[in-house]
Order: sequence, then C-alpha cells, then structure tokens
Amino acid sequence: MRRDSSWRDAVGIVVVAVVAAAVSNALAGPERKLHWIGSYTSAPAVPAAASPTPSPGASAAAVTPAADAGNAFAPHPNKAWVEISGDDVAALHARGNVLFLDARRSSVYRAGHIEGARSISIWEADADDKVKALFAEGRDQSAPIVVYCSGGDCEDSHHLGEKLYFVGFDNVLVYKDGFPDWEKRGLAVKKGDAP
Amino acid sequence: MNSRLTSPWLTARVQFVLAAIFVVAGVGKILDPPGFAHEIYNYKLLPGVAVNALAIVLPWIEVVAGLALFVGVARRSAARIFGVLLIVFVIALSINLVRGRPVDCGCFGGPKVPKTDVQRLGDMKIAIARDLGMLLLVWQVLAAVKREERERR
Repeated sequence: MRRDSSWRDAVGIVVVAVVAAAVSNALAGPERKLHWIGSYTSAPAVPAAASPTPSPGASAAAVTPAADAGNAFAPHPNKAWVEISGDDVAALHARGNVLFLDARRSSVYRAGHIEGARSISIWEADADDKVKALFAEGRDQSAPIVVYCSGGDCEDSHHLGEKLYFVGFDNVLVYKDGFPDWEKRGLAVKKGDAP
Repeated sequence: MNSRLTSPWLTARVQFVLAAIFVVAGVGKILDPPGFAHEIYNYKLLPGVAVNALAIVLPWIEVVAGLALFVGVARRSAARIFGVLLIVFVIALSINLVRGRPVDCGCFGGPKVPKTDVQRLGDMKIAIARDLGMLLLVWQVLAAVKREERERR
C-alpha cells in the first residue's frame, strides 16, 4: 500500500516554522519579544461593588490634594485592583506624588501618555522585569498607583494591576475609561519616551 | 469533477493567491508578536499560558506553508495546514460572534484603527465569509493535486 507522505511533510513545515519562530523571537528587541509561556490571568472580573470611589469629596472639582490625602483611596489588600473614575484620577494626578503607569504598548505610549506616567506594557517581554524593578525601588506599597490603558473593553491595566498586586502593591487603582477619557478632558499629555 | 476546476492554469493562480494571502498575513503578525498575542487573548478561548507560544509560532507556520505552496513543494501538506487553520479561525470567530463579543480579527497584524463594537461584529462576519471562501481555494488545490497524482499513476 502506498503511504501518504503529506502528513510527514506537514510536520516538517511545522518544525521549520517552530525553529524560525524561536530564532526570530530570540533575536527580537524588547518591544517585539515574547516569553513563550504567557503570564496572563484569565479574564479579569471584579464586581462593580468593589469600586471604592465616588466618595463625594474625591471629585476633581471639589478636592484639593490636602483634602483627599486621607483615606479616600485606602489600600485594599484583599483585592488586586479597584476601578476609579476619571474625576478621581484627575484628583490623584493633581496631588503630584501619585505613581501613574501606562499599560499600553510602548509605541502607543510614545505617541502620547498621561504626563508623569511610566510605561509598563504587559504585552511586552520586559513587563515583569519592570514590575520587579518598581518593587525594588522600595516604594510605599500602600500608596495609590493609578494604572490605565485604552478604556472601553481594554483589560491591559487590569492585568498590570494583578502583576503589581502579586509583588505586594495593595493600592492599585484602575482608570476605567483610560487614556481616551483623559484626552477628552483636555488634561496634561506628554509625548515621547520620558514620563 | 469538472477538469476545468482542477486545470493547471487555475491551480497555479489559486496557489499563488493562497500563498500570497498567508505570507502577507504571517509577516504582518511576525512584525508585532505582542500585538498578535493581545488579539489571541481577546478571543478568550485559550488559557493565558498558551497565548504567547501560539502568537510566536502561528505566523511562521503561515509563512513557511505559504512559501511551500508558492514554490510548489509539499503542496498538499501546505493546503491541508491552511485548511485546518481556516477552520480554526472560522470556529474562533463564530464562537465570539455567538457570544456577542466583538473582537478584532487579528488576521493580518499591523496597526489597529479604533472601531466600534458594531463595526467589529460586522468585520467578524466578513472575516468568516472570507475564510470560507479561502477554504474553497484550499479545496481546489487539494483536488488538483489529487488529480495530478492520479494522472501520473
């Protein structure tokens, strides 16, 4: 009986592809490289009730840095992150001492980001290293950290929130509506690599 | 089967079109693996640990099989691989369509233009129709290869 060699050829094609992929990934720069094993959690889902926000005093208009410096954004050690509104984010930004993290791709970050925000793209291979470096800075782990991405159904900020939570930060606040909302509000935007 | 449908003239053109589509699609993804990983993740069909490996390898399978088809090496294998891929793509898109969950196809990589959910759902239907059309091309190549082998015996 004549043997069908096409399955053997198909395996050959896949093997060549895997080798090429491995070489390509090994040679890729940090923005293109991926770890072979993804560290993404399943779909982030936190009940809406988890949101700590709209304490009336936390709106941008009514709050001064001194006024909301109390526990309007208290640590939440039992939750990886909570979502907050654009008003709250604006208030936190006005404080000037709150860390902002941009979870979008670094190319998108360069095109425009919240002034002062650092880039940690969860889809790029150096995300975990950047999170560890942040931890190594010896920051107050209970201080608010605002993370954001593109709003809408974007989950990158939630993923980054989980990474931060797992290294010990217990006050991660996800800017639910993300950068599009920030731009719509006409707040400070910066372009380029620098925060 | 009508021999016109498996004629060498038509087969050569179908192979070229299939190979070109898959090579272009694969290269687009190879240029930005994290972006493609993101698209795969958005389908919510795979465990997170498997997303990256697929994003790294799948585009290269498309390119290598496309090149094989283009130069006429292991044509049946390349066509079968494309057939399997297209069926998987159709199933993945259909599941999310049934879920009412709009996703970007991620078929060709490259920069994404922001779209509304309605636009995405419409694009998903178009992508399914396109993939089904491409399955017909795959079927043509397989039938032509089979016919050639029969004639050689």
